[in-house]
Amino acid sequence: MASIIDIKEECALQVRNFDFTYKGASAPSLKKITMPIAKNSITALIGPSGCGKTTLLRSFNRMHDLYPGNKYEGEIEFDGRNILDPKEDLIHLRTRIGMIFQKPTAFPMSIYDNVAYGMRLQGIKNKSELDGRVEKALKDAAIWKEVSDRLKHDANGLSGGQQQRLCIARAIAVEPEVLLFDEPTSALDPISTQGIEKLVIELKERVSIIIVTHNMQQAARVSDYTGFMYLGDLIELGYTEELFVTPKEKLTQEYITGKFG
Amino acid sequence: MTAVQKRIFINKLALIFSTLSALIALAFLFWILGVLVMKGLSALNWNIFIYEGAPPGYEDSGLKHALVGQLILVGMATGVGVPFGILAGTYLSEYGKNSKLANTIRDISDIMMSAPSIVIGAFVYAIVVLPMGHFSAWAGAIALGIIMIPIILRTTDDMLQLVPGTLREAAFALGAPKYKVILSVVYRGAKAGILTGVLLGVARVAGETAPLLFTSFNDNFFTTDLNQAMPSLTVTMFNYATSPYEDWQQLGWAAAFILSMFILGLNIAGRLILLTRKKGK
Repeated sequence: MASIIDIKEECALQVRNFDFTYKGASAPSLKKITMPIAKNSITALIGPSGCGKTTLLRSFNRMHDLYPGNKYEGEIEFDGRNILDPKEDLIHLRTRIGMIFQKPTAFPMSIYDNVAYGMRLQGIKNKSELDGRVEKALKDAAIWKEVSDRLKHDANGLSGGQQQRLCIARAIAVEPEVLLFDEPTSALDPISTQGIEKLVIELKERVSIIIVTHNMQQAARVSDYTGFMYLGDLIELGYTEELFVTPKEKLTQEYITGKFG
Repeated sequence: MTAVQKRIFINKLALIFSTLSALIALAFLFWILGVLVMKGLSALNWNIFIYEGAPPGYEDSGLKHALVGQLILVGMATGVGVPFGILAGTYLSEYGKNSKLANTIRDISDIMMSAPSIVIGAFVYAIVVLPMGHFSAWAGAIALGIIMIPIILRTTDDMLQLVPGTLREAAFALGAPKYKVILSVVYRGAKAGILTGVLLGVARVAGETAPLLFTSFNDNFFTTDLNQAMPSLTVTMFNYATSPYEDWQQLGWAAAFILSMFILGLNIAGRLILLTRKKGK
């Protein structure tokens, strides 16, 4: 059976008995997942391809709803509510739970407009407020120095690593409580990867972070908690140091020692 | 001859024949363009832009009526075709996706694209000209607009689908409602492609003659009355070129030249936009 640690600190999210089934699939892709996500810490999700880690991540901001026919069962509690409720206001939910994608997703507009995008959606029109918050977000995403003199330039002119930091700036500009990272460095070079990892660690002061990674070293470097998933099950959730050094489950041990995956 | 030598020989033969065929095809194109430029340029003069049509033999005759009529007709057709085409293309790419309805619309629009334009002219004649009782610019513009819709619809559909899905997801993940995602992210990403589609659509209808014969008909005089028959470069060219009068034939060449340059210009502009977009990436 799965070995899930009991998190004593406050939790940002609580997943309980969560099943997820893709449209037309006969069996659920996620099976009875129960998992606490600690507040202001980093939880990494690892596991071989197809284990459901990205599927789980995309459930936290109900991204699956963009493609009709998918089915959620069970509960994901956030701020005292079950966000799987069909009546949940997804627009509001997604401003509180942000997401960073595998490939940088800079919009085809200027750097400034990219960062201001989410704030403008929330109706912030005041120029000086926007200016201030764009600058702060870019500083928090450690990219301000590189772009401060070309905010009006097209964001697609930036390098991959810069674009990814721009996307992080865009996500934190709306001040979410949770940030979901979906393999945020798999399209980047080692130096950019280092920059993003450093940034993720700094960000946990303010947000709770869940990061999906296929890179076990990355999980070990950045996360406080690690969850190991396999074939739609959460096999083990534990403190990162413990999970990598003394895993409680045989499957976890086999995976982290490279016996499969 | 060994097997290898035989293959080399066949290879050379194929190369020679395909190159020759390409050259012959191109030769006709340049022949047409060459004759057009020679005859057209010599027929060009300022009077063409100043005077309207006149009976044969008059010195002060020009194409002002047809030029303005052409611009009005094509402009109005663009007003009909572009909004419908872009909105329908948006439906296909963003809402209908691969649903049965969307794919049926795609098929029908492909059939419409290859429908003979004279059929569309006859259709508009039946539903607009007959009830009104007379030819009109409206009817001409509607016929051209109908021809334009499938072209713009398909390019819009294709260009919107080229915008990566992750870009849409990223906008949704920031809490954007669907219409905002389309307006502020998807359209922006496909801007150059949609514009190219519009230009190519305009270029396509600008050369149409058959549907106008049934709808806006023709007039040898300058008019801006949309409820009356309206001259166009294409129909004027047809009338002048087939007339027995030398001066009218000259005007016909001028009309052909101006029309070709207009359409060529639109096509080149469309391609340039796509090219600069690719370089920008």
